[in-house]
Amino acid sequence: MLDPCVLALVGDDETYGYELAGRLGDAGLGPVKGGSLYPSLARLEKHGFLASQWRAGDGGPGRKYYTLTDRGRSELREQSRIWAAFASRVSSVLDVEVHP
Amino acid sequence: MNDETWLDCLDHELHAAGVSPENRASARVETEGFLQEAGGSALEHFGPPTTYASHLADALGGRSRPQRPRTAAPVVSVDGVSKSYRSRPVLNDVSLTVSPGDVVVLTGPNGAGKSTLLRIIAGLDRADRGQVTVEGAVGYVPQRGGVDPHLRPGEHFELFGAPLGLTRRQARSEGNRLARELGWDAAAAPVAGALSGGTAQKLAVVTALLRQPQTLLLDEPYQGMDADSQQRLWALLWAWQEGGGSAVVSSHASDALSKASTVVEIEGSTLR
Repeated sequence: MLDPCVLALVGDDETYGYELAGRLGDAGLGPVKGGSLYPSLARLEKHGFLASQWRAGDGGPGRKYYTLTDRGRSELREQSRIWAAFASRVSSVLDVEVHP
Repeated sequence: MNDETWLDCLDHELHAAGVSPENRASARVETEGFLQEAGGSALEHFGPPTTYASHLADALGGRSRPQRPRTAAPVVSVDGVSKSYRSRPVLNDVSLTVSPGDVVVLTGPNGAGKSTLLRIIAGLDRADRGQVTVEGAVGYVPQRGGVDPHLRPGEHFELFGAPLGLTRRQARSEGNRLARELGWDAAAAPVAGALSGGTAQKLAVVTALLRQPQTLLLDEPYQGMDADSQQRLWALLWAWQEGGGSAVVSSHASDALSKASTVVEIEGSTLR
C-alpha cells in the first residue's frame, strides 16, 4: 500500500525522498525507511506515474525531485477507488464479527 | 559498516543485478542525500546492501539474482547437547537450528562454550549428550591458527584447492578474488607467519570459503581486524547468505548482533 500513499503525498507538489519520508511520517504511516521508500519511487517512476528532475541540494549532493504525471494522477484515482471498495468490504466483515 | 563500504557494496550488487550505470549513480547520490539529512547509518535506514539492492533492482526492472529456496530443511541441527571438560560443565542442553541462508551469531561471555559448540558442529569434538546433525560440508575457521606459518597465501589456496579438483592456477585466482572482497591483496602477501592477526584470520576465512561449504563456522573472526575489514567480512557474509549459504559465527562484538539473521546467547553453560 506504500505506492498509492506516495502518489497521494507527492500530490501537486514537487518533493524529494527525505521530505516525502517526513510527509509519510506526519500522516501516521511512518517511520518509512529509505530502504522501502526509494524502491517505491523507482517503481512509480518506471511506470511513468512520477517524473523526476535533479537539482543542486543545499550544499550537499544533488537532489532528485519528483512530480506527479497525468498517468500518475489517474493511477492515484484508480487506486483510491480500489482501496475504498476494499476497505468498505473489510469493514462490513469486521463489523459482523465484532458485533454478531 | 561505514557508509562508504555500504555504498560500494550497493553499487557492486546493483551492477551484478544488471542495473544501468545511470541508475546506479542515481541510487548512490539519492542515498547519500537522504543520509545527510536523516542522520544515522545507511544500514539503519536501508538495511543490508544486498537486500536493498535486490529490492531496488526489482523496482527498476533489472535482472535479479537467482536465490536458493529459504524453506529448505535445516543444514545444522543441534539437539540437547551437553559437554563437560574434567567434570566442569561447558555446555548444558544446548539446541540450535540453522537453515540455508541463515547467519547465526553465538554470543556470550568468554568461557561460555561458544568455541566448544562450534568444534562440536565441525566434528572436531564430541558431545557427551545430545545429537548434532550436519547437512553438506562445513568450513571451520578456528579462533587462532588454521593457517600454516611457513606457507604463503597462494600456497594455502593451492593446498586447499587440490582436493576440490582445482588446478593451482584456478585455486590461486579464486583465493585472491575472495581475499580482494575482504579488502586484502593476498597475491602480494608474505608467509602466513608474518601476517598480522586480522590478516591471518582473513586467510583462514578464504581457505574455508574455497572449499565451498554449505555452512561456515567462524570462531571470533573479528579478532585483530580493523573496522573496515569487519564490515567487508559482513558484506561477504551477506553475499554468501543471499546465495543460500549459511554461517554460525561466534562473537562478543555487539555490533554483530544487528547484522545476523538469528542471535543465540550462550551464558553460564545454558542456552537462552
